[in-house]
Amino acid sequence: MGEQKKTFVVTRFDPDRDDAPTTREYEIAVQPDWKTLDALNFIKDHVDGTLAYRWSCRMAVCGSCGMMVNGEPRLTCKDVLSQYGDTVHIAPLANFPVVRDLVIEFDGFMEKFERVKPWILRAKEKAVEEGTHRQSPEQLADFQHFSMCINCMLCYAACPVVSNEPAFLGPAAIALGHRYNLDSRDEGNGARNQVFRGDGTVFSCSYANECSEVCPKKVDPAAAVNQAKIGALLDWAKGLVLPRGGPE
Amino acid sequence: MHRFLLRIEPIVWLLFGQGVLIGTILLTSWVLVVGMLEPLGLVPADALAYERALRLGAHPIGRLVLLALIALPLWKGAHHLRHLAIEFGGHARDAVVAPVLYGLAALGSLAGLFAIIRL
Repeated sequence: MGEQKKTFVVTRFDPDRDDAPTTREYEIAVQPDWKTLDALNFIKDHVDGTLAYRWSCRMAVCGSCGMMVNGEPRLTCKDVLSQYGDTVHIAPLANFPVVRDLVIEFDGFMEKFERVKPWILRAKEKAVEEGTHRQSPEQLADFQHFSMCINCMLCYAACPVVSNEPAFLGPAAIALGHRYNLDSRDEGNGARNQVFRGDGTVFSCSYANECSEVCPKKVDPAAAVNQAKIGALLDWAKGLVLPRGGPE
Repeated sequence: MHRFLLRIEPIVWLLFGQGVLIGTILLTSWVLVVGMLEPLGLVPADALAYERALRLGAHPIGRLVLLALIALPLWKGAHHLRHLAIEFGGHARDAVVAPVLYGLAALGSLAGLFAIIRL
């Protein structure tokens, strides 16, 4: 198998010049083992140096190169080109404002991340002399898969609720909050569950499961979101009979 | 209204979730037995005789099952329709749509409660 010609229909947008996004076609020869990102890098290096897109590690760790490929959110460094036909459409991730070409703006996403307090919360911090917080392998296994998220935002591009309700906390942020709620060292469930029930409530999720379908790291955010609903519900019921406690 | 809807969301979701369960499992078998197997003569003729069905339904557990069958799918329907309305029309009318739908589900549940008490 040698090289093969493919046409890439790439969304272009320059906020200084364009009123609306347009597309530009690039026909290039691709190698059999190329990923979608390799084609973009080839176009940038040899055909059109003005094309803007984000990428960094090329090994599905940094989470920078998420884009819509033929209408699906994909991590382009992991996305095998040979699965597509002669024409490949590449657009910026859906449900995000576009900065330029394939580069999206994710301030709103970062703000949602902060709101779920993705760090260990303790009622009283342990002094350094008292040593570390110990955790068994079983306790680690409770949440480990939810901590594999690389913040690539594919789940936000896939989620029908995010597209319809921009305030919704969204799959990755809820999964991360839930990951800390499951952590045996953490005591912040009450504070996080209040966030889960507040604006952008976890209950907005209609369980389309698209987030888990597109997740390149198999985090299964849909499971996390629906476990978070149960957690938020139990915490709410507990709040009816017990006074609130725990760190804010 | 937005605040109020957020506050009642956990309990509505609980009723909705149970409604999905009841609606897909119990109600389906209910329709299968009462709507198809019985008319086709595939269940013994006296299995669903009035006196027998009444005794079954009037037992405390029977009453609870009947109430669940009546009330929970109403909450499932209300919650589904509310989200359908949000998906098609956004949040603009949610402050009216949600209370109307949940109100209807609550009324239906009360009517169901009244009916099973009188059984």
